[in-house]
Amino acid sequence: MFLVEVARVFKFAFQSFFRNFWLSVVTVAIIALSLFSISFLLMINILTQHVLTVVKDRTQVYIDLTSQATADQITILLDELNKLPAVKEAVFVTPEQTLENFKERHKDNPLMIESIEALDKNPFTGSVKISVHEIADFPVILNELSRSDYSPFLEIEDQEFTESKLLVERISEYSQKIQRVFFFISLVFIIISILVVFNTIQIGIYTHREEIGIMKLVGASNKFVRSPFLIEGFMYSLLSIIILLILIYPFLTFIQPYINNFFKEYTLNLTIALNQNFFTVLGTELLVAVIITTSSSFLAIRRYINK
Amino acid sequence: MIKVKNVTKFYKPDTYALKKVNLDIAPGEFVSIVGQSGTGKTSLIKLIIAEEKPTEGQIIVGGWDITNIHPREVPFLRRQIGVVFQDYKLLQKKTVFENVAFALETCGSPRKKIENVIPQVLKIVGLEEKFDRYPFQLSGGEQQRVVIARSLVHKPKLIVADEPTGNLDSINTREIIDLLKKINELGTTVVLVTHDREVVNNLKRRVITVDDGQIISDQNKGRYVL
Repeated sequence: MFLVEVARVFKFAFQSFFRNFWLSVVTVAIIALSLFSISFLLMINILTQHVLTVVKDRTQVYIDLTSQATADQITILLDELNKLPAVKEAVFVTPEQTLENFKERHKDNPLMIESIEALDKNPFTGSVKISVHEIADFPVILNELSRSDYSPFLEIEDQEFTESKLLVERISEYSQKIQRVFFFISLVFIIISILVVFNTIQIGIYTHREEIGIMKLVGASNKFVRSPFLIEGFMYSLLSIIILLILIYPFLTFIQPYINNFFKEYTLNLTIALNQNFFTVLGTELLVAVIITTSSSFLAIRRYINK
Repeated sequence: MIKVKNVTKFYKPDTYALKKVNLDIAPGEFVSIVGQSGTGKTSLIKLIIAEEKPTEGQIIVGGWDITNIHPREVPFLRRQIGVVFQDYKLLQKKTVFENVAFALETCGSPRKKIENVIPQVLKIVGLEEKFDRYPFQLSGGEQQRVVIARSLVHKPKLIVADEPTGNLDSINTREIIDLLKKINELGTTVVLVTHDREVVNNLKRRVITVDDGQIISDQNKGRYVL
């Protein structure tokens, strides 16, 4: 008896899906488009996060050493800095490396290269390159470097350090703002998508109101009336996810060159990023879609089932 | 079969559809309930099939007090009552067979029973040849016969027909009434709500007349008196 009922519920769900074919197609298309938009927004979010992380990781401060700095002093300074929990890495950059870096950075500017080569000797002194875990940790390092025992061999210009500090603080501030804005946009978009899907399902159920009435009239239990619609909602979700999968990969491949062009060295391969988070992203979307479609169906049927 | 005791049905804000109605219908009877539009006939039917609850009073159907029936029990009551409406209430995207089978399918009847019962009831209503037609391919009378077939599949002890001939011409009307008489002869109680004078007068059965929410006449071999 139970198996017969389960089989019938599935049969009615499939019948309803195919006999109202165009309504089903429209519903699936709307859910798929909503999921597609949400996925796109999520990918943009991941990309922004990635860019901000890279920018933060690449934010480094160079502290120039005086020409009097000895190898021992440099070793002690590096040891002290590397002991600080806030410091990710502190390395010594020789004058030669600094010159090489300068030439590399200005290779497209012949005037600069000529000017530096016109000098008799390397104008750069050695420096310490400091990377930190968190941009906000730079003040800790400033305090450490302000110790009087370092002053003879460090050329810290307060203004320079303050500018660096301001720059990194600004990046941090922007990153938080961008995250907040994206969170807000995502939230608004998700709410809009939920409302659109909810409304579409409601319209779908509305077209079945007569059928619901007849089922009740001939003695069908509420559970039996409700179940085919819940299964139909699940079918919509499943099909939408399949359509999303079919569309999303070609779409990501299509936009990747534009992303690369826009973000340059900070770019991220979206297809790889999606593959890495495949089950999380699609699992979450399937779950969200199923919850929205079935709860919409449940609420919409309730209006007719209690008549 | 049906006992209605002191039943009042009140609709907000100020409408009394039924006022202190008392009614007793015995098993196997064929009763016509007549009256003009808006006098409470359909409200009475809605109370009998538990589509609505009375404001006051008690309703017993087949020995079952349904006055305060729990919504979960309503499907079990409906399986014991065949209901026929003026507007047919057929599913347009299902065939005749599927429409009739629907009543059994939704109640979990096994496939074998469905395949046995449906040809039988379709034969009773004379539609065995048109089992694969869709409602829009049938005449009004034929559609109403499908509805009657659907109401018979649970072998109900009671059939309630609310204006079943309201949309039909005189020939189809006679056919439907003859069908209901035939079903009644097989032992099923029939409650017919109508305002068709000719139908009531030709039946020569019990007639209950309702006016302004009250029973104003109850005759064993009655005529349409309004």
